[in-house]
Amino acid sequence: MKNVLFAGAAVSAMFAGQAGAQDLMFPVGEGDFHWDSYQAFADANDLTGQTISITGAWTGNEKERVEAVLDYFEAATGATVEYSGSDSFEQDIVISAEAGSAPNLAAFPQPGLAADMAKKGLLTPLAEGTGDWVKDNFAAGQSWVDLGTYADKDGNDQLYGFFYRVDLKSLVWFVPEAFEEAGYEIPTTMEDLKALTQQIVDDGGTPWCIGLGSGAATGWPATDWVEDLMLRTQPPSVYDQWVKNEIPFDDPAVLGAINEFGWFARTEGYADGGPEAVASTDFRDSPTGLFSLPPKCYMHRQASFIPAFFPEGTTVGEDVDFFYFPSYADKDLGNPVLGAGALFAVTNPSEATNVFLEFMKLPIAHEAWMAQGGFLTAHAGVNTALYNTDSERAMGEILQNATTFRFDGSDLMPGEIGAGAFWTGMVDYTTGKDAGEVAAAIQSRWNEIK
Amino acid sequence: MENIAGHKSALTWVTRITVLILVVLWLIPTVGLFVSSFRDRDDISASPWWQAPFPAEQTFGTRVAGEAVQEGGAFVLTGSIYEGSDAQVGAKVVAFGISRSDPTGITAGESVDLKGGGTLTVNGDGTFEMRTPEAPSAKGQRVYFAAAVPPEFTTGNYERVLYSNGMAQAFINTFTVTIPSTVIPILIAAFAAYALAWMEFPGRGFLIAGIVGLLVVPLQLALVPLLRLHNDIGIGQSFVGIWLAHTGFGLPLAIYLLRNYMVGLPKDIIEGAKVDGATDFQIFTRIVLPLSFPALASFAIFQFLWTWNDLLVAKVFLPSDSESWVMTRKIADDLLGSRGGDWGILATAAFVSIAVPIAVFFLMQRYLVRGLLAGSVK
Amino acid sequence: MGPLMQGVLTILIGVFGCVGYFYFSNLVLDRLIFPARNDDAGRNINRANAVRPWLFLAPALFALCLYLVYPVVGSFWRSMYDRSGDVFVGMQNYKNLSVDPEFRSAVFNNFLWVLIVPAMATFLGLVIAQLTDKLKWGGIAKSLIFMPMAISFVGASLIWKFVYSNDPNIGMLNAIRIFFGADSPIDPLQVPFWNNVFLMVILIWIQTGFAMVILSAALRGIPEETIEAAILDGANPFQIFFKIQVPQIMGTILVVWTTITILVLKVFDIVYTMTGGNFGTQILPSYMMEYMFRDDGRATAVALVIMVLVLPVMIWNIAQARKEMR
Repeated sequence: MKNVLFAGAAVSAMFAGQAGAQDLMFPVGEGDFHWDSYQAFADANDLTGQTISITGAWTGNEKERVEAVLDYFEAATGATVEYSGSDSFEQDIVISAEAGSAPNLAAFPQPGLAADMAKKGLLTPLAEGTGDWVKDNFAAGQSWVDLGTYADKDGNDQLYGFFYRVDLKSLVWFVPEAFEEAGYEIPTTMEDLKALTQQIVDDGGTPWCIGLGSGAATGWPATDWVEDLMLRTQPPSVYDQWVKNEIPFDDPAVLGAINEFGWFARTEGYADGGPEAVASTDFRDSPTGLFSLPPKCYMHRQASFIPAFFPEGTTVGEDVDFFYFPSYADKDLGNPVLGAGALFAVTNPSEATNVFLEFMKLPIAHEAWMAQGGFLTAHAGVNTALYNTDSERAMGEILQNATTFRFDGSDLMPGEIGAGAFWTGMVDYTTGKDAGEVAAAIQSRWNEIK
Repeated sequence: MENIAGHKSALTWVTRITVLILVVLWLIPTVGLFVSSFRDRDDISASPWWQAPFPAEQTFGTRVAGEAVQEGGAFVLTGSIYEGSDAQVGAKVVAFGISRSDPTGITAGESVDLKGGGTLTVNGDGTFEMRTPEAPSAKGQRVYFAAAVPPEFTTGNYERVLYSNGMAQAFINTFTVTIPSTVIPILIAAFAAYALAWMEFPGRGFLIAGIVGLLVVPLQLALVPLLRLHNDIGIGQSFVGIWLAHTGFGLPLAIYLLRNYMVGLPKDIIEGAKVDGATDFQIFTRIVLPLSFPALASFAIFQFLWTWNDLLVAKVFLPSDSESWVMTRKIADDLLGSRGGDWGILATAAFVSIAVPIAVFFLMQRYLVRGLLAGSVK
Repeated sequence: MGPLMQGVLTILIGVFGCVGYFYFSNLVLDRLIFPARNDDAGRNINRANAVRPWLFLAPALFALCLYLVYPVVGSFWRSMYDRSGDVFVGMQNYKNLSVDPEFRSAVFNNFLWVLIVPAMATFLGLVIAQLTDKLKWGGIAKSLIFMPMAISFVGASLIWKFVYSNDPNIGMLNAIRIFFGADSPIDPLQVPFWNNVFLMVILIWIQTGFAMVILSAALRGIPEETIEAAILDGANPFQIFFKIQVPQIMGTILVVWTTITILVLKVFDIVYTMTGGNFGTQILPSYMMEYMFRDDGRATAVALVIMVLVLPVMIWNIAQARKEMR
């Protein structure tokens, strides 16, 4: 019975593979993609008959897009790629890795979990030289190497993660027409942004839509706020110390950033519905306030993925646009950018996994998704003309022009903090608890797991 | 007697009304879900579901632009407001405005002064007239208006859920998982329950308590060690594995429910049969099993429901390729999309997956009634 | 061979395998090992009867040990280790739990759940089972009340979002409040203490159907004659219900109560998806989920605390079983 099951799966997978190979999204040789390096890769590698399994958190239309990229790998090598996406990726990968049935590769949506798994010895380090390659070929290469380097079981640092897709967090979304009609200018400094916030209130409007609701993950959007504000009130070195808990969570520097967030979320009239609604509104429903008539709010701070949740038929760049969440003019901290990203790590090595990671170094692996939209990359060798929209190109530029790039801190903290205590703590803070009390509680939790 | 009858009928009415109220209370949330399953995501967050069947006033935005005709000293532009907006042509315009912050300040039919000079009038039938001292710009004048929108329902959600690629396969897979996962534990549990109810042996009480204790074992604890075990003995991630897993997880409740039902069966029959020389096996198959039908049927329903709606066990014990997805997985991982925010699809999925269990319940209800038989011999 | 065929085949193999196992093992026991003949007949019958319960129990015990006992023992072991699973820490995880204020509030809330949910669900289930019994459309009414049982937890939490949302455009509760003149919406899930009750309502809504189905079967099991005799004695319907029917099915009522109590200690989905344990609504199962796969040491410790909480229920069941044996 078991053999029949497996044979059935293999046969169906084979057909799926062939079908994928036949219709590539962008025909080879057409358009301004980097075809030469792709051809050379195809000529050099033959993995016919081999299968490579990948899991990730990309589902729905993101899954379709990543599969379109994987088709190029299949076409070049003859290997079969089985991608499966899961909304509860974080649980699934731990279960399957600990049970010894892990896929070959996993696309981790954030590094914290990958670091945890590396420590448990569930990941395999990337091939020699990958680190140097990333350093040379990614914008701000060293930071991406650092973000992918974790301690292994014996405490030695090794490179495990290869960053693929980057999300930009420091964005404020707005409806240009609403700004135009009310005569508001896009603020370029935090001082201006705060003045604009007050001005909108004086004009009888509500400046912000903030929604922290996300089921079991309720509270995470607030952590992004705090991280962004941390980078705007403290030098990056303090941010790094905070993320590593070298300064306590209830350090005045952190409390300052939390209270800055409170200025936006807790001040009467600043956020749509007041703090109570902020704490419970689903982050997916929150941006719709921008589009209602009359507008429920004028601005919404959220990462680059949020257009997926705008009302149907909304065009980014036309109906809605974004500006960089500005920094203080008087603080002289440059233009810090907060981001996040997905990384590939090897959970079950085979010959094909190394070839696959070679493929990931090719510009085409990035361009094929860039051209489909909803994708930013740190790969410096790609043709930015291929970005699907002008706004994505603009985001790419924000990424390139950042004087400081920092990764989403909650993703780097241990899971209990960054995906637990920090979330719930921010909900408590938003609904009225004192920042010092909340931060002290998070710190005591952190002490427990040290 | 008549008095009692009159009393009785009043009581029947009270009973009927109480039941009706309870049913309505129980149903309201589900009706909400049902109505929502016929609306798209934007409508669901725009108006409450209980207002869905009625025309609703909705605000639209558009730009009026075009070739203006010169009339005396003014440029006059006329046309239909519906162009360039999402509003249905012919929807009655109630009010309009020229600023986003006050989109419905002016009643339809009245005029408003424009910023750059001139006036704009929008009528109830959607026609407008704009008079400006200079030719209007090509970009056009922003106009907002509130119009009554007829109720809008769509079967789009159902089409997306039912006709999506691989749904049929997922449906079959779900049956493949649920039926053996329901039948096998019942069989095993029935024998065990009989032993615990009607056979005497040392340690019986502790076994029963132990099984009650096992009822509370959180599934999540068992997943990793069991999957590892399955991999070691060569079952791996497969249908066989999930059948075994569901059997193991369902057994405590099955044994507990069945034993408690069997204990209540009339003693005389079973002891009489024993005196007549029937073996335990014969007593079990010929007497206890048929009499326990209501309990078997109710447990079957619960186990079926549980396996039908299960996502976690299916994810862990079935292979991850889409060929072996069950419906819950198909919906969660494929249809809902990233971070699943489409309430319409969620509502529809909930209804699609409820259809079969409800049908099963209706079918099984006839067997539940057979409890009468069991009771009459008491 | 498609999976469907495999499924059919497995059902057949499973069913015939099970029946065959029980039938032949009995046969072997009676005919070959302890044959009831010759001089040893009496002794052999006794011996066979001592072994037989274990034959009947064997498959179930095997599956239970493999799928539940083994993970529990493993979990107990795991709860003595730190979060990475490498360092033995003894009772440290339990000590950490006892000083965590969130854990304490979860225990308190869980007590509320255990007190309220099984009682309400059983009571409503019993009332509905009795009321619908004599109605022509009782079957339909029962199916409708049973329906929530069939809805997945994801569906259920969506349904209740339409009730509890603090946006009066979506949430029914707020719409009703506004209709009756309240000036601003509240978030029902942020009202201290009552938010727990609102979450319990969801589980009661789901579980009443379960109680109703089981209790309805039990009610039908009461012999007609008993009730007819009571009517002839002039008992009114309330007396019949509380003095005759309820005592008759007391055993079943307690079973339903136990089952729902245990479920309450197990279901994390409602709290997990509705509030994520925020606003003081944490309960033990969802608290455990917060640690699951991150700090398995602590998660398993919570699981074992939950198992200990079932102890009274287990003791009660032992007592019951003892009583029956006499």
